[in-house]
Amino acid sequence: MEPDRAPGVIPATVSAAIAITVDALESLAALGEDVDDEWQYVQDLTAAWRDRLTALEVIRGDDGIEPTIGAAIVLLADEAARITDPHRAIDWLSTLPQVALASLGERP
Amino acid sequence: MRFQDAAPDARAVVYAGIQSDPLVARAAELLADATFEQRLLARAVMNGESTDAGTWRAIFPSLFGERTASPPAVRDGSDEILDVSLAVAERGEQARSQFRGAIVESLTELLLRRRHGHADGRSVRRERRVLFDGVRGEIHPYDVTVEVPGALAAVDCKWGARGISADVLHQLEDARAHAADEDERLSVVLVVFDAARSCAVRLDRATAPHEHTRLVTLESLDELGASR
Repeated sequence: MEPDRAPGVIPATVSAAIAITVDALESLAALGEDVDDEWQYVQDLTAAWRDRLTALEVIRGDDGIEPTIGAAIVLLADEAARITDPHRAIDWLSTLPQVALASLGERP
Repeated sequence: MRFQDAAPDARAVVYAGIQSDPLVARAAELLADATFEQRLLARAVMNGESTDAGTWRAIFPSLFGERTASPPAVRDGSDEILDVSLAVAERGEQARSQFRGAIVESLTELLLRRRHGHADGRSVRRERRVLFDGVRGEIHPYDVTVEVPGALAAVDCKWGARGISADVLHQLEDARAHAADEDERLSVVLVVFDAARSCAVRLDRATAPHEHTRLVTLESLDELGASR
């Protein structure tokens, strides 16, 4: 999966970082849906983490972030984009938002 | 009610080789004293695609960045955790899956030993079955058991929330209920090396009973080793 964003753009706000994370989350979900038995779990998991990220955006969306954190978010999304196995994608549906939230100084 | 060693089948013999790999013990030792974020690093790396240490250092700036507030000991620990996690990731897809499971089990055993450890080393055991009078024994042993009078526990361990299945929940609940039938208190615990939020999502649609099953997640692992 190729990331759906301009290359080289480092997010400078929490809101921009979350947008990248949610895009990556939804790409993983699309891949994870290939596991028929886990379709519902993929929907539920994606929604739960999207809600958590969106809730953070409401509170801290305009906050600026350091370039190292912005770069970390981009690299994290790139790492998610390298995943081609649907089973691993499901595992990353949980891992990705946790790492993104930790980078932003939040607990999952 | 009594505990019993599981008879090793072919799968168990192969898996025992993984469990006894020094990499598993080393990873468990490091993760037992790790911070939440270091454990998250291990989870990401062991399940990631990249095996480039520099990439992971950049993804976790709070652990490895120049301006990290972590004390030197924590930074050193992060380096070691990254090293062992990459060693697991480089084992290949099938092997890494087995290593991850074995590491969560070993970590759980280590933390529980800190709480219940006695000199005889028999308080916390691995791969044990729990037998009850008049009840057909379960085929699958529990990953870890606590066999201390007054603190009996059967523990199953999972790498991710997706590993929470009806079979696992039923086996734990059945054990608890059978123990209660014999007037014994058996705690049943599910240790998942994943976020509580993901586990809650999994459990929300579970129809198997789990009201009495204690869930320990990535955020609450230290509770296993905490003093009573």
